Amino acid sequence: MRITQNMTANNAVYNLQQGQARLDKLQNLVSAGQMVSQPSDDPISGRLLLDIGDKLKAYDQYASNNTKATSWLKFTGTALQGLTDVVYQARNVAAKMNNGSTDPNIRQSAHDQLVELKKQLIDAANSQYGDQYVFGGANNLGPPFSNANNNYAGDSAQLAVEIANNTSQAISVTGDRLLKGTTTPAGIPPTYGTVDVMQTFDDLIAAVGDLATPTNVANMVTANQNIEGGAKQLSAATSDILSRTTRLDNMATLNENNKNTLLSITTNIQEVDYARLGVELSNQKMAYEASLSVTAKLSQLSLLNYMP
Amino acid sequence: MGISAAMTVGSSGLRAFQVASEVTSQNIANVNTPGYSRQRVVLESAIPTSHNGFAIGSGVQIATVERYYDSLLQQQIVNAQTSQGFDTTKSTVLQQLEPSFNDIANDGIGTAVSKFFGAWQDLTLNPAGTSERQVVLTRAQVLVDNFHSVSKSLTDSISLQNAALTPLTDGINKILTNIASINDQIKTTQTLNGNPNELKDQRDQLIRDLSTKIGITFTENSDGTTDVKLNETGTPALVTGSTAGAFSLVVNGTKSDVYLNPAGGAGAVILAPQPTKGQLGATINLRDTIIPGYLKKVDDLANGIATAVNTQHQAGFDLNATAGIAFFSPVTDAATIAINPALNSTRLIAAAGANPNAPPAALPGDNSNALAMAKLQNSTTAAVAKIGSVTFNSYYSSFVSSVGLDVQSSKTTVTQDEAFVKQLTTLRDSNSAVSLDEELTNLMKYQRAYQASAKIVSTVTDMMDVAMGMIR
Repeated sequence: MRITQNMTANNAVYNLQQGQARLDKLQNLVSAGQMVSQPSDDPISGRLLLDIGDKLKAYDQYASNNTKATSWLKFTGTALQGLTDVVYQARNVAAKMNNGSTDPNIRQSAHDQLVELKKQLIDAANSQYGDQYVFGGANNLGPPFSNANNNYAGDSAQLAVEIANNTSQAISVTGDRLLKGTTTPAGIPPTYGTVDVMQTFDDLIAAVGDLATPTNVANMVTANQNIEGGAKQLSAATSDILSRTTRLDNMATLNENNKNTLLSITTNIQEVDYARLGVELSNQKMAYEASLSVTAKLSQLSLLNYMP
Repeated sequence: MGISAAMTVGSSGLRAFQVASEVTSQNIANVNTPGYSRQRVVLESAIPTSHNGFAIGSGVQIATVERYYDSLLQQQIVNAQTSQGFDTTKSTVLQQLEPSFNDIANDGIGTAVSKFFGAWQDLTLNPAGTSERQVVLTRAQVLVDNFHSVSKSLTDSISLQNAALTPLTDGINKILTNIASINDQIKTTQTLNGNPNELKDQRDQLIRDLSTKIGITFTENSDGTTDVKLNETGTPALVTGSTAGAFSLVVNGTKSDVYLNPAGGAGAVILAPQPTKGQLGATINLRDTIIPGYLKKVDDLANGIATAVNTQHQAGFDLNATAGIAFFSPVTDAATIAINPALNSTRLIAAAGANPNAPPAALPGDNSNALAMAKLQNSTTAAVAKIGSVTFNSYYSSFVSSVGLDVQSSKTTVTQDEAFVKQLTTLRDSNSAVSLDEELTNLMKYQRAYQASAKIVSTVTDMMDVAMGMIR
């Protein structure tokens, strides 16, 4: 093949360009520190990275949901503790008055205590977290309980929160199940008991008597048994909340583990191997320097240098 | 035949080597001229004359000055450059589009979708909360803005391709007229027994230039001219002898159609189908197929999300216990998608599901519709009509990946084209390009021969002097 100086020059430029391009690519990898910085670098890995990115965002969202749901349940637990305390106090008062008292002042005092305790019970049962009544189900148009009557104004909906892909956790403890002993809607858990705590308080207040009225011992015994049942009902709700919290806790750990696994996959794909790049870079640098030197030397050769 | 015959032989040598040196100097001067083919003098001995009983040549004469030219190689270069023109244009434009979809490095539509549904997740934890509701609206606005921005950059790119047709066809027309007029000059020169080598080089270079812009075939005629045809359906003539055809653009709605008045034709007619090769073909392909394809994907995603969200939103109830209204309106495509203007208050976001113990129709503390809305993100059935049985994020990710694949493969093709064209150019150069060393050698060779011829003349002069002296 016949070779001309311009062919040599063109070849030199082409090859220098190639060398420069390889150096540029390596330089890019080293400075960016990641293998895929745009989809066309590696479309398949790019797809995987995008998918993992979406999943990581989802896990972050689930973690945030989980934290908020846990706070909600903790708050509900605290309110429930308040309710339990009130019921225990009422039980203590009622236990003392189980056989009645002949002293009108003691009767009146017990009566007053029970009336106050019921008010406390209603206050605690109307606790709010954010805009929601924690024991009101989905209804936050107004407080679930009032002093006017023993009706439950909330509803029995179980508010649920997504804590993993397609996995929801109910976070509500509704007042009807807790204080009214309702088991409706039938078959939908949780069910804590059948005692109407609100009514039981009224029964106690009526049975204990006052200054003028003697204690109705028979009713007192029944009401005492009922308040005992109410206490159990509240403690069942407490364990329900604890088990839900535990579930959230476990799910948080699981999410965290999944997230870490995905992160490590991302790292495997994205992280550049600096040692390998370093070796490659020095190889390419040497090759580039060699081709520069050869080009400079050879392109000076000409017959002109030797002509008189 | 006298002594002057030797003089004639010597002077023919002087003349021939002078011309040879001129050709060499022409070669050296054009060593860097693109498209120049080296020339050489073809020497032959002049017709012999018979004297003194011997047939002796009457010196040297120049048969022709020819150029080194390989028409097969020219044809291959033309074809290779057409592919290179197509692939380079496509690759350049695709690389300009890629950043719009680079969700690996930046937050784009994919992130906006995740965050929009994330806002609904947050709303499930406080369904009546004003700030949570406001976040839903804000995230929706970000999503809408992202769709608008991507849609705009794609539509802009389409109009840019359309606008690029004007300078492109102008350039092609100019080349066509130049080829035709050079053809004319070549024909005239050749009729006058002239040597149109340089003109042919110029024309061949123009043909190579033309080949990057459109697909062409060419035939060389015996009168030295070259006819050029468009290498598309119907192969209309672009240049016939000294007449050139012309491309024109006719506005058709938002874009322009390419028309051609063929060489010697009566008027411009639309090219059907439109050109598919070279830069012109690539520009039309990008404008009519590739970019609209991307745009449709983005439109489908926008429509898929908006439709699914609207359906779910209308199944729920807002804080006023009235049924939810459409969340997005209009929902047609990515360019026009917007939050429903009627959705002007956070109270109108339908987070609640229907109340089983109606009335009221819904309870403000209920989060079941917000939860259902958040779950749309992972649903593979939410938007089947438009995007098939995949989640929104997965649809978008695979779209981004397919754009990446397009860019990657177009880059690879361009590299291959470059290597191929370079190889062909090297082959052409090997045959046709000027080698300085070779020319310098020739120069020395011709110089020596010139000196020798001059010596013959001076020797013969001496000899004539001797002969004249004898007369005296």
